[in-house]
Amino acid sequence: MKKSRASRVFSSAYLILILLFIYLPIGYLVLFSFNEGKSMTNFSGFSLKWYESMFQNRTMIESITTTLIVAVIATVVSTVVGTVAAIGLSKAKRIIRSIVMEVNNLPVMNPDIVTAIGLMLLFISVKFQLGMVTLILSHISFCIPYVILTVMPKLRQLDDNVAEAALDLGATPFKALTKVIIPQILPAIISGALIAFSMSLDDFVVSYFNTGAGINTISMYVYSMKRYNLSVNAMSTLIVAAVTLILILVNLIPWIKDKKTKKEEP
Amino acid sequence: MTKKMTAVLLLICLALLPVCSLADGTLNVMNYGEYIDEKVIYDFEKEFGVRINYTFNDTPESMYTKLQTGVSYDVVVTSDYMIDRLIKENNVQKMDKSVVTNLDQLSDSVKNLYFDPDNDYSAPYLWQNVVLCYDTTKIDPTKVEEKGWSILLDPELEGHVFLYDSPRDIFMIGLKALGYSMNTESRDELMEAYDWLVKMNQTIHPSFVTDEMIDGMAQGEKWMAMMYSGDATYASMENEKLAVWAPLDGTNIAYDNMFIPANATNPELANQFINYVLDYPNSMLITVETCYTSPNEKVIEDVTGPGGEFEGIESYVPRTGYEKDEIYTDNELLRTETPELLVKVKLQ
Repeated sequence: MKKSRASRVFSSAYLILILLFIYLPIGYLVLFSFNEGKSMTNFSGFSLKWYESMFQNRTMIESITTTLIVAVIATVVSTVVGTVAAIGLSKAKRIIRSIVMEVNNLPVMNPDIVTAIGLMLLFISVKFQLGMVTLILSHISFCIPYVILTVMPKLRQLDDNVAEAALDLGATPFKALTKVIIPQILPAIISGALIAFSMSLDDFVVSYFNTGAGINTISMYVYSMKRYNLSVNAMSTLIVAAVTLILILVNLIPWIKDKKTKKEEP
Repeated sequence: MTKKMTAVLLLICLALLPVCSLADGTLNVMNYGEYIDEKVIYDFEKEFGVRINYTFNDTPESMYTKLQTGVSYDVVVTSDYMIDRLIKENNVQKMDKSVVTNLDQLSDSVKNLYFDPDNDYSAPYLWQNVVLCYDTTKIDPTKVEEKGWSILLDPELEGHVFLYDSPRDIFMIGLKALGYSMNTESRDELMEAYDWLVKMNQTIHPSFVTDEMIDGMAQGEKWMAMMYSGDATYASMENEKLAVWAPLDGTNIAYDNMFIPANATNPELANQFINYVLDYPNSMLITVETCYTSPNEKVIEDVTGPGGEFEGIESYVPRTGYEKDEIYTDNELLRTETPELLVKVKLQ
């Protein structure tokens, strides 16, 4: 069945509209990071002064560093913990698995503010001084469920016999895990890690209540500004550029590898 | 593989070190974001050989929550009514006046406020009042000056007004327009103000916004805005057509003061910091960066004088000594009722 011309026009117009809706705000933000004036609505000329003022602003740079450190540590820890938990769960009894999965869903469905206050009260009640450590712990705690949720479905698709075959052929259980199971679920682990990373980067509420003196994340910095200034746009532009670059690399590298292996075995 | 991992972990730990270092010479300061010239922080660090941990906050209320978590801060900047509450709850310690000698440099208008009659507990940081900022090419100044807040009932302004989306500030307008105190404890007066505001909303359909109005007024998007004078100063430096007026019905004067919380770990240094911020050159840096009014008498004189940064900007110096102007007090009726009432006003 061939699509009519009208329906084709409609579907591409619809696609363009959706893309505009998603990317126009980002484009607007990037454009104004180059504004010469202070205005967020009136573009008066091209300049890089907001980038300059961003790099001179120590508290802003520190907030960016803190955000990245927290995000990286939280991602690494929650990915490891979450993956191991998911693998363990996949071998557990059905009833235990479904109970744990329900419990795992709770923090995901819960509003952030509940998680945030809950963690804060916990830290205070055990007399844990709020600071960098509590910030990282709280991020790890809300990232783990997302990792489990992304890794779990992939594990269900696995053929159990493959791991058993590895054991039969003399692999130690640890070897079977690292050489057989993990490589098969690697795409899911990577996407879990990416979700954890972006959740951590995004978070405002949990960070706000669980951090101590002098430790600010970038979202806290922007949220508390008495008066907006365009160096926030400059910073966001750099982040958008970094994310774009990472996404391009993530998509290009397997493609290049593919080509190489194809060349080697003609 | 393991070697690489260890290397990565080591790197992360190294990166963490400067953030975690809580040596003796650190001062924890909490302030609103973008509310200081950072040079003041760096200079203080150099001069005293210490490190300042700077934390941000957006409202006095969230600052209050932060203090309740038991994190120890040495110097906190927040608004008048919140300091009132904190002093009453014994959460503030007295300043050491033998160290904070620069209180002498302050203008009389910012000293000895109702919540701290002898400046024992707090020192002013910046201050401002609420004004009407308007486009002189669209609205006749004599009309604004004559009508005061009641100009907001003028149908001609329909669709041309920004109001600051904050319950206490909006109800201040209603109460002042009716001739009541903005700190009223009477529910009847509050409800009368509510009716006034409903009428106002139905007549002019204002846009309730926050900081967007600064840019909006600078670009001439609307004819009139109710603004904090510091923001009006900023806007009128960008747009010459703007004028400001503090209605004769009276308005709100807002003070942001510095204080030392009771659980501060480094009160000696905190006193030094407060004194340092009050000093002429530093107060000058802060006011020029933020456009809010300095408490330092000489700074006010110099920036509004010939060649000064704010020469000819009438909103820079808030009106003082006018009996109908007030400062917010920590008022339970208004604190609890106005947010809900404002939602109702907007729905009508």
